[in-house]
Amino acid sequence: MKIRQRFAIALALGLFTVAQPQQSVAQQDTTLASQVQRLDQQLRVLQRLRELERDSIVAASKTKAGLTASKDGFTIKSADGDFQLKLRGYLQADGRFFLSDSVVQGTNTFFLRRARSILEATVFKYIDFRLMPDFGQGTTVLFDAYGDIRFRPAFVLRAGKAKPPVGFERLQSATDIRFNERGLPTNLVPNRDVGLQAYGDLGGGRVAYAAGVFNGVPDLGNGDGDVSDAKDFAARIFLQPFLKQTGSLLSGLGFGVSGSTGIERGSTTAQQLPGYRTPGQATFFKYSATAFANGHRRRVSPQLYFATGPLGLLGEYVISTQEVTKGATTANLKHRAWQAQGSFFLTGEKNSYKTVTPKKVFDPTKGAWGAIEIAARYGELKLDDATFPTYATATTAASKARAWGVGLNWYLAKYIKMAVDYELTKFTGGATTGDRETEQFVDTRFQFGL
Amino acid sequence: MRNNLSLATLTLAVLGAAFPARGQAPRPATLLNVSYDPTRELYQDVNKAFAAHWKQRTGQDVTINQSHGGSGKQARAVIDGLGADVVTLALAYDIDAIADKGGQLPRDWQRRFPDNSSPYTSTIVLLVRKGNPKQIEDWDDLVRPGVSVVSPNPKTSGGARWNYLAAWGYALKKSNGDEAKARAFVSALYKNVPVLDAGARGATTTFVERGIGDVLIAWENEALLAVRELGKGKFEIVVPSVSILAEPPVAVVDKVAAKHGTTAVAKAYLEFLYSDEGQEIAARDFYRPRSAAVAAKYAATFPKVNLFTIDQVFGGWAKAQPTHFNDGGVFDQIYQPGQ
Repeated sequence: MKIRQRFAIALALGLFTVAQPQQSVAQQDTTLASQVQRLDQQLRVLQRLRELERDSIVAASKTKAGLTASKDGFTIKSADGDFQLKLRGYLQADGRFFLSDSVVQGTNTFFLRRARSILEATVFKYIDFRLMPDFGQGTTVLFDAYGDIRFRPAFVLRAGKAKPPVGFERLQSATDIRFNERGLPTNLVPNRDVGLQAYGDLGGGRVAYAAGVFNGVPDLGNGDGDVSDAKDFAARIFLQPFLKQTGSLLSGLGFGVSGSTGIERGSTTAQQLPGYRTPGQATFFKYSATAFANGHRRRVSPQLYFATGPLGLLGEYVISTQEVTKGATTANLKHRAWQAQGSFFLTGEKNSYKTVTPKKVFDPTKGAWGAIEIAARYGELKLDDATFPTYATATTAASKARAWGVGLNWYLAKYIKMAVDYELTKFTGGATTGDRETEQFVDTRFQFGL
Repeated sequence: MRNNLSLATLTLAVLGAAFPARGQAPRPATLLNVSYDPTRELYQDVNKAFAAHWKQRTGQDVTINQSHGGSGKQARAVIDGLGADVVTLALAYDIDAIADKGGQLPRDWQRRFPDNSSPYTSTIVLLVRKGNPKQIEDWDDLVRPGVSVVSPNPKTSGGARWNYLAAWGYALKKSNGDEAKARAFVSALYKNVPVLDAGARGATTTFVERGIGDVLIAWENEALLAVRELGKGKFEIVVPSVSILAEPPVAVVDKVAAKHGTTAVAKAYLEFLYSDEGQEIAARDFYRPRSAAVAAKYAATFPKVNLFTIDQVFGGWAKAQPTHFNDGGVFDQIYQPGQ
């Protein structure tokens, strides 16, 4: 019995000794699995917390106003985009050098052609306003001060001081024009006027229209008020019928017509009549000092634009008619001007009515130099024959101007460019010896803007 | 004079262009339904059916846009100006807040539609992983050490407030109305909650997709959705011994609807929820229908549960909200993140 007992005890001890390590390993496995599971859960929880934190940051950013700085200016914007304030501006530092001014003096000078700050705001999503004073050339002039109510893309109501919808190159922003100065036809259309206009795009931009009522300003005029009760009505329609036909040669074709009609009554002390300028901004025509506007003023301006690839062409024709009185005589004087201009991007950018953003924005460290464009134009402005000699003096005012111009534009970035133009303008009349001296000048520009 | 006439004509012309004459066909209507987190699927189905119903009835096209989030957050957004024509939130208190703070609908809004303006109900159940590895059978199992519970944040989520109150109500019943014991129970439960999502759908994501936790306290409809669609074969529903009757309410936001000119269509939209078709859709999307006939048809989907109401146990939302969920309330006192 004792032997049996001893044997059983010995066997049990032996089995226990063998089983002990196996049981310990199993326990360790279970513990390890449990630890791994716990760590896995902790890791998942941490990841989820990070995820939720990210979500809440994104959600919070949607309700906070944002400040952005980009090539289009500096913008403060509410989270929903309904309220925005945009600060922009541009500066044009010019150098103008006359090559032949022995008779008609032109001053070679560096000057600030334009120095404009632009404040644009949107409030309550559908209401915009814009304020743009110009501090160039040593004076302060308010150019734009208007508000827009956007009912829909096809109907926007604008009130305040703005460009009336007449002319073509005039309606291009000063930062977008291809020459440093606009061509001769711009002489015959208003610059800025105060009034009310409706405008919009129809058919996805195929038809653009604008129509409004304004105080009425003389050709090239920039007015802030009126001197008579009568108002000018102005309208423009511009069609781009193939705009949506991507890949079509004609997709860049646009044409239209603009015009205005009204009554302007001046006096010998407030003539309400224009003077016309050369591309060098010298006055080559002005009315007699005792002549004044006295009756209907009408303008009509057919216009054409075509762009394909790097090539852009612009053409416009303007007729400006004004009843003018001097003493006991009154005449309906009809002046005409036209121009054709073309430009081409040597660096391959797509040409358009607006400014260009270079394919490679200026960055010398990366060998990116911007965009290069060449441009050429020809234009004429002819005064009504009946203007002379009653309403203007042929020895001091030219009856016709013909201008040739070539230009080279180097765009470092959007709104930033260096440009040099050569302009030559010949005149008929305007001098005691016959024709006014031909104007030749070189105009350089450094434009900085955003 | 002639000039002035022309000016008047031009002004009329431009204003005419701004406000064109109405045609004979009714103009399409658009509604915004601001709802709580888990109702996405429900209202996708309802909107489609209602648009067809409304078109047939009136000839008018209607588009219903949906916005979803934690019920409390959604109510805040409406108060802050989100242009909801209708709200379909998780609990009446959130619509009360819109009436009180936003003044966008009258305070008696709940009387406008049957059943206190709750066209469907739900309850709170427990969702566990397949095989129920932690052996969770009832509320008591949620406070065991080592059990990880997923539930959203009662400060932002209506569903989470129902979860909280269901647990509190259970503890109160078990302890014969001992508030201190109920508080200790809920406090222990939230010690087991590692993540507080902002809404019920977020909590479902945490549990189902991120694999966190052993049990999700969930809307019954959300749990059924998880079991049958989101994670088929991976989860099981545990129906607790007692739970709360959740009555998600609906309301037209009068001022917004009037401003949008959508009052009639908004009202019809909510009435549609009570129709046989609307009740069928609710049941198909796992909400308990009010209609006895539809409820009988879907009896197999919705097990019998011993339910109490918020009015019976807490004296209504007007008392429960400030006591438990307002800043400084019981939840703020018992829930200490990281502890």
